[in-house]
Amino acid sequence: MIYIFYLLAYGFLLTAVIGLLASWIDRKVTARVQYRTGPPVLQPLIDIVKLLGKETLIPRGASKLTFLTAPVIGLASVILVSTLLWVNNINSHNSFLGDLIVVLYLLTVPSISIIMGGFASGNPLASLGASREMKLILSYELPFVLAVLVPVIKSEFSLRLGEILSFQAQNGVVAGSLSGFLALVVAILCMQAKLALVPFDIPEAETEITSGPLIEYSGSGLAVYRLMKNMLLFVLPFFLIILFMGGLRYDGIHLLNGVLKYVGLMALITVIRNTNPRVRIDQAVRFFWGPMTVIAVIAVALALLGK
Amino acid sequence: MSLKLKALLKSPWVFHLSTGSCNNCDIEILDCLTPRFDIERFGILLAGSIKHADVLLTTGSCNRQSVVRLKRLYEQVPKPCLVAAIGECALSRGMFIHSYNCPVPLDRIIPVDVYIPGCPPKPEAMIAGIVKLIEKVKAGQKRKKK
Amino acid sequence: MTREDILNDLSVRFKDDIIDVFDKSPKRVYVEIKPESIVKLVSYIFKDLGARFNIATGVDTRQHMEILYHFIIEDINLLVSLRVKLPKSKLEIDSLVSVFEAANWIEREIHEMLGINFNGHPDLRRLFLSDEWPEGVHPLRCDYKEWDKKAIRDRGV
Repeated sequence: MIYIFYLLAYGFLLTAVIGLLASWIDRKVTARVQYRTGPPVLQPLIDIVKLLGKETLIPRGASKLTFLTAPVIGLASVILVSTLLWVNNINSHNSFLGDLIVVLYLLTVPSISIIMGGFASGNPLASLGASREMKLILSYELPFVLAVLVPVIKSEFSLRLGEILSFQAQNGVVAGSLSGFLALVVAILCMQAKLALVPFDIPEAETEITSGPLIEYSGSGLAVYRLMKNMLLFVLPFFLIILFMGGLRYDGIHLLNGVLKYVGLMALITVIRNTNPRVRIDQAVRFFWGPMTVIAVIAVALALLGK
Repeated sequence: MSLKLKALLKSPWVFHLSTGSCNNCDIEILDCLTPRFDIERFGILLAGSIKHADVLLTTGSCNRQSVVRLKRLYEQVPKPCLVAAIGECALSRGMFIHSYNCPVPLDRIIPVDVYIPGCPPKPEAMIAGIVKLIEKVKAGQKRKKK
Repeated sequence: MTREDILNDLSVRFKDDIIDVFDKSPKRVYVEIKPESIVKLVSYIFKDLGARFNIATGVDTRQHMEILYHFIIEDINLLVSLRVKLPKSKLEIDSLVSVFEAANWIEREIHEMLGINFNGHPDLRRLFLSDEWPEGVHPLRCDYKEWDKKAIRDRGV
């Protein structure tokens, strides 16, 4: 019974609130960088409430079941991942063997749900955006998994998130060592691609031309997708904080430390977002399979050597 | 006022629809969306697809070929939706009032909520027009409640 | 060849086809010719003189209909306009598609707007007007009347 509470309160509500705040921080900092005021604090929430009030149109050539359930699948997987991460963060003895692999698998489901929604729309532009998303997933998953391998090696080859946390509590954060730092850099860039933010937002955010896979979504489908993306804006940096920076601790001064870690990652995401143009899909694939994989392999080799 | 309408007025996403204009009004709409006028503080974003749109900014006098397409597009916008007619050509066909190819003005084809005159209207005029639209919808709701 | 050479050459070679030559300015010349000799003259100007076809324009005056074909000779900066006057009883002329392909669409447009028939045109269908437009109604004529009962044609909407 306690797990239903964890699911709803920590997995859904807390993550949604922090995710919407993070999206607002991103928009406000972008506005300030462009020398203008930005939207008010509740703006992302108002966007989602407004979208829930519009009617949902289903195109005639679309497969109805996939079209309507794809956003729900994405949201469900994000809620599950965030529940797992919060449960491990609160009490690091609650983890089971292999939950790191479960989290890695579940983190690919949001991107796959966007692909499903794009192909189920029956629109050639949506299919084009969905195929680009597929190519992007193929490219960034490799260095991401290699980068996640480094904390596993460092905490003596354990696949439990709780053991990685308790190892870092005793021996210092993984990001302090050279291999951990390199892996953190690779993981941040792969996270930028997974969140579909500039410079890697080729499939989804071509709002000046089309809207990619989301072109036929309106009303509640679009609201669920936007909520999923905003929650992912919290879940992915949280995952990196658990793996590389020792998790969020709430006793006394460490709470401020944890908040600073998260805000620092958000600031890094926003700065990368505002200072780079969008790259083409072949440039992105070459980037991830070229320099990023090489750096990740070097980091794994250094971790195996004990540095 | 219902929550649906209140949220719609606080975050109207615009879509730019040209029914055969000379592109001058389109350039001014694009100017309005730049960081100098900063309409994101009202919650206005540019929507890429018409199914994400709340306010349709229509320009251009509607000629016979685009009447068919305009009707089809208007059916694809999820309601509730507001329409703003921008520029002289969209108000009353402007200088093309005696043209052989523009039979009717725009508001005989789709229901228009606010008219923004000018050839082309300045971005400040467009922002003032959108503010008047929001005031008008709020006042309409209050009158309905009474 | 300079400008005077070209004009002298034209008036010598096509003596019975040219009705009038009007020198408007150093860069523009209007040459009025008979409708039957349009293909002959255009092939000479296009192929032998190496001119570039710019556009063809048509106008409906009260006495007759005119078509002007504009050619540009770039080396000497000259624009030659060939004027053809067609009587309203016999509105047809030979098509220029056999000389160059660019005349295809402009002749379709002149046909649907003014009602001039082009003999020998391979594909004389409607180009710009919408599908509901009735046949035989040409909008740019002087005597065009509104055919649509539901159109609103008053000032002060």
